[in-house]
Amino acid sequence: MVRKDEAGPDIVGQALAKNRLGVPSVVFFGVAGAAPLTVIIGAISAIYAIIGSTAVPIAYLVVAGILSMFTVGFVAMSRHIVNSGAFYSYISHGLGRVTGVGAAFVALPAYSLMQVGLFGLFGSAASGILAEFGLKVPWYGCAIAAWAIVAVLGLLWVDLSGRVLAILLVAEITIVLIYDLVMVGHPADHHVSFSTFNPAPLLTPVVGSLLVLAIAGFVGFEATVVLSEEAKDPKRTIARATHWAVLLAGLLCSLSAWAMSVATGPDRIASVAAAHRTDLVFFLVSPHLPTALVDIGYLLFLTSVFAALLAFHAAVARYQFALGREGVLPAAWGRTHPRTGAPLLGSLTQSLLALGVLSAYAVAHAEPLVYVFAWLTTIGGLGVLILMWAASAAVFAFFTRARRGETVWRAYIAPTLSFLLLSVVLTATVLGFGDLLQVPKNSPFQWLIPVLYVVVAGIGVTWALIMRAARPEVYLAIGRGADGRVGAIPDNPITKALHADPVGARGYPY
Amino acid sequence: MLADQYFLIAHEDRTGRSRLHPRATGLGLGAALIGELILEGRVGIADGDLIILDRHPPADALAHDILDLLVAQSRHRDVRTWLAFLSQDSAARVGERLMRLGAVEPVTRRRMLSTQTLYMPNSAEQRNAAAWAPARLANLLVRGIEMSVSDRLLVGLIAATGLTRHVLYDFEMHRHAFQALPNAVDSLPSDLRELVEYTEASVGSVLTAGRR
Repeated sequence: MVRKDEAGPDIVGQALAKNRLGVPSVVFFGVAGAAPLTVIIGAISAIYAIIGSTAVPIAYLVVAGILSMFTVGFVAMSRHIVNSGAFYSYISHGLGRVTGVGAAFVALPAYSLMQVGLFGLFGSAASGILAEFGLKVPWYGCAIAAWAIVAVLGLLWVDLSGRVLAILLVAEITIVLIYDLVMVGHPADHHVSFSTFNPAPLLTPVVGSLLVLAIAGFVGFEATVVLSEEAKDPKRTIARATHWAVLLAGLLCSLSAWAMSVATGPDRIASVAAAHRTDLVFFLVSPHLPTALVDIGYLLFLTSVFAALLAFHAAVARYQFALGREGVLPAAWGRTHPRTGAPLLGSLTQSLLALGVLSAYAVAHAEPLVYVFAWLTTIGGLGVLILMWAASAAVFAFFTRARRGETVWRAYIAPTLSFLLLSVVLTATVLGFGDLLQVPKNSPFQWLIPVLYVVVAGIGVTWALIMRAARPEVYLAIGRGADGRVGAIPDNPITKALHADPVGARGYPY
Repeated sequence: MLADQYFLIAHEDRTGRSRLHPRATGLGLGAALIGELILEGRVGIADGDLIILDRHPPADALAHDILDLLVAQSRHRDVRTWLAFLSQDSAARVGERLMRLGAVEPVTRRRMLSTQTLYMPNSAEQRNAAAWAPARLANLLVRGIEMSVSDRLLVGLIAATGLTRHVLYDFEMHRHAFQALPNAVDSLPSDLRELVEYTEASVGSVLTAGRR
């Protein structure tokens, strides 16, 4: 509670603000997961190659628009709930705890698979670069090296510090802009075409796959709300930063996708992209730039994928930590390393899972770019899309119960619009998901993935119902994440029990 | 006093380093300082807000200082705001108080770019006294001896910040103590119980954000 009517300096407020984050730091945090260079070099070329549609630039703009709309209500809701760590806590506040646990069970594999997918991108890119130096290292070797570093840093809870991240991002953005300029400056057939901004292809069935792939490039922007207690002005900083993160990613990706199509000519982009994959951008700019700038681009690409790996690893570990603290996962997941605060078990689980999946791929000799990177990030992207869709419904439901002083636009209009738009995108995606994975018509993968998500959500719902029956006191605290029990039905004696074991762990270890 | 005990438990006696994430230790110490004022009847907590009950200065200089600040900055009432504020320098301030008592000595360490002052027990006598802090608590809990309100609050803060495993390090020997823990906290007066809960919540969000 803040009373403004008082004279004299606000010592407490100033002292707290000194150590807190401003808009830029929060933006960098939000963009880290969807590091622009990773998306531009890794994802956009893959989208051109896989889908073969030229509407990629407009797709990014459309997605940025939808997500901005979504952000309006999302951020407004984050001001009214105690714990705002993750999508599932919004969903359990808006749509009830049972749905919330279902969402949590969707979120875990979704984020986790996205990270594993990025290992495929890193491995294949790094082994390509090493091959230039005459070193033949399989993608698996490079991916495992990155895996080992991420696993150790994850256990030490070394998040790339804000400053390192900021420098990397600024460098990435600079190099992206230089490349874009070069590509637009050397158009195919000496003609700069804007035809890729034509929205007409978005009305064809390809829209679903296009939009879900584009959305995958934004994943991570929602993490900004984790920092709401660390921000200078929790009300404004987070809202602005989240909008900036969405816009920055959207504009940059759209611009770059357009520049690529200009450099090859819109009619040839798909075939050139298919031939050069992640080398596409470098192939297009290298004739016109000094080699040093291209080499820097390669280096920044690797660091950017690595930063994304670390960001996703932290996100998954944090998710499991929050769930462990709430008692949805066993209490052991809610335990942290005493000194560093690292969520140990969450970190270990994700590392082991990544190792298992990567090894399985290596044993099967699967191609890393298609089957590891494209497949897993697409599957993960679908999960995140489901979460966003459910979260937009949750925001709507939350404000329907009470407007809580938000404007009509923030409380009703924006959430409704974003829910409708996301529903369209989700439907289109689910219908076209088999084509997205490029599997034959009779393959089980045509329908398997969305069904699996329904199954895990079902398991989550069942688990929530079991919890409600067996451990009602724990059930009541769902959706509060790391905040634990504060505010959970104050005068219920059961919820008051303080647990002996490390921070927030529920129940005893034996 | 309460915060002194917490300080000695939360820091390694040989290196002076915090046993927990520094921000968690800061929050624990901040809560202990507020707890001291509550125990002295100067402030109370209701629905997440700090309320000043008695403006008479406490005998202890640090407690006096904090009460003055609470009175002067009445625009901030939220317990979590005060926990965050006090946590910023609570380690240094409680360390200074312990130094005045002769329980620790300041040690200046040069680090890469800055110097850092740690307060740590330096003589054998000081080390013994520091090691006694967790041992005394474990002893009380294991034997099920009736504890003072101050000790029960200390137990609550230890559990809320994640130091339980350090105090009760032996599962077999301390089995009973683990079972006594929830009881010790449940029997606290409501404002102290609230203080423990807000501390636990703050530690949780600080650890989730994962910043130094």
